[in-house]
Amino acid sequence: MSDNGDVAHARSRGGLAAYQDARALVRLLQCSQCSRPLRTPVTLPCGNSVCRECLPQTHLRENISYPNAPDRHYGFQCPFPGCGEEHPLADCSVDVVLYKILESVAMEVSRSREASDNTPTALEEVMQWGDIPEDEKISAAAHARTLNGGRLVATFTFAELGELGYLSEVTYRSLSPTGDAYEELDKAFLERLREGAHKEVDCQVCYALLLDPVTTSCGHTFCRKCLVRVLDHAEHCPMCRRQLLIPASLARQPSNKTLSTLLYRLCPDIIEARAEAVRLDELGPPGGLDTPLFIVTLGFPSMPTFLHVFEPRYRLMIRRAMEGNGTFGIMMYNRLAAPQGDLGVTQFMQYGTLLRIVSVQMLPDGRSLIETRGISRFKVLEHGQRDGYTVGRVERVEDVSLTEEERLEAEETTAPISLDADAATQIDHLSTRQLLFIGIEFILKMQRNSAPWLHQRILDAYGGPPDDPASFPYWFASILPIDEEEKYKLLLTTSVRGRLKITASWIRRIESQRWYALTLNLMV
Amino acid sequence: MALPKRIVKETERLMAEPVPGISAVPHEDNLRYFDVTVEGPSQSPYEGGIFKLELFLPDDYPMTPPKIRFLTKIYHPNIDKLGRICLDVLKSNWSPALQIRTILLSIQALLGAPNPDDPLANDVAQHWKENQNAAIQTAREWTQQYAKPQ
Repeated sequence: MSDNGDVAHARSRGGLAAYQDARALVRLLQCSQCSRPLRTPVTLPCGNSVCRECLPQTHLRENISYPNAPDRHYGFQCPFPGCGEEHPLADCSVDVVLYKILESVAMEVSRSREASDNTPTALEEVMQWGDIPEDEKISAAAHARTLNGGRLVATFTFAELGELGYLSEVTYRSLSPTGDAYEELDKAFLERLREGAHKEVDCQVCYALLLDPVTTSCGHTFCRKCLVRVLDHAEHCPMCRRQLLIPASLARQPSNKTLSTLLYRLCPDIIEARAEAVRLDELGPPGGLDTPLFIVTLGFPSMPTFLHVFEPRYRLMIRRAMEGNGTFGIMMYNRLAAPQGDLGVTQFMQYGTLLRIVSVQMLPDGRSLIETRGISRFKVLEHGQRDGYTVGRVERVEDVSLTEEERLEAEETTAPISLDADAATQIDHLSTRQLLFIGIEFILKMQRNSAPWLHQRILDAYGGPPDDPASFPYWFASILPIDEEEKYKLLLTTSVRGRLKITASWIRRIESQRWYALTLNLMV
Repeated sequence: MALPKRIVKETERLMAEPVPGISAVPHEDNLRYFDVTVEGPSQSPYEGGIFKLELFLPDDYPMTPPKIRFLTKIYHPNIDKLGRICLDVLKSNWSPALQIRTILLSIQALLGAPNPDDPLANDVAQHWKENQNAAIQTAREWTQQYAKPQ
């Protein structure tokens, strides 16, 4: 009863049962061209596999000069329906993992056949006429055999004899004197197969069961995600060091179809558990260190930030961000090694900006150009490492409420002021709107002077000055050529007024002699 | 952060099937840090010596190679005073399909086949090229002096 339950369970998950699905199991290993179990299997760039002997006739590929390797000059038309592409011979190597699996299966079959020479089952091929051309029907006749070893071994042997068409079905009739259908034999056999093949189907990068296997042109197979990570660091096959001439994202690289199907049909539960584990792993460690941090430069809320991603660890980070919620934090280097609150001296400044990826342009070598837009500011409360990059638990930094904002303005603008107050005190007394006007007027003046940092190209990227006092300082800081450390102060502010006071103080200093000479070089 | 499955498996296998002449034991408080010993290969000037090394698996291992250095003083043209090793598979020729086991075997092989044409310790390499017998003698003496089991 429970045995039948197991079978039902496996089949409900897409798995195949040893006895009930013996025919379908053997088909997983049959060559669709010659119908025999795959011999020296070759996996094609389209992800399908055939025996090396079954590769179609090659032809000379003309007018090809790059890459100019001798074996790229010959190719063939892919025999698989749905592909039909021309595959260069150079891209079709013996599939090492499949080869070893087939080898281990063939050995197990021959061993089992010898061990069970008195368990006859009559097999009869049932041809699927719909798939055979009319003129071949006459010569094609269904085969029948009596073979030993349970359904699986008998069916595999039937295929080895070349008498079981790839598409054909099989009817079974046990010839056991006791009426035993050898179901137990099949189960035990499949279990041995699983064990025998087990060590062949681990990825040589992560040491776990191959997940979404991708086979290289040199015939080596890795989990898709593992190979993508490998290509972040190198362009050579980890196994044989041959150069891999494939776009680093593997976006258009098909999975190894035979291997994927085989693994899924044989152990759907393990594959699903593994996929789930990888999914959880991609989410990052528990405990809130869930924001990836790109330590490179300043970003500002509502403003675009353009990044060139080339370091392997950041390529991985950006890829994970894209697969996840599309966000990551950007932070500035702590160049002066200043202590960062509770964190002590860290490599980065404690405040940063959460960015959302707007668009990604992947370059063929795996680098990328990304456009992002700032969402919000944050403060890092705790930080750690993940695969070479920094991750953090962050707290959002927000402005005070509007009533508090108003209270601040009223309080500061009405405080008594002496006639010889310094510039900072004078700024404190200006209304929030006046602070914004200082900025807008400065921009207009600089535009009249054709300051290069207000070039049309820059305005195209960042837009014109926003009217909104809350975001004006971020826009201003995005384009003004002054010290990053100065701009960083904006990230710590908690009021619109606080930010505008900072930008007004920059303008006052630029206009004063001290900064004027300094910034003139930058602005003219 | 949890230790990646790959590192767990590698460590288990190193413990279960150790390589003859090589041991690598992770620190209890940092499973990415290993105490390593390598026996000098027979028929080499390092024969009879047991060399201590430290090995660290960086965050992005196995995408980047382990960091390894000799702690025991050794007279070898490809190993410098600080114990740093000049070995291609630890640098540009690293591949994620290599592992702690294979890297330590490569280091042991390097002891058996010094390569003075690709030196890290220039003075040693010079010595090796000008008077190989004398250099080998020095290597032997150093082995006796510094790499003798306690």
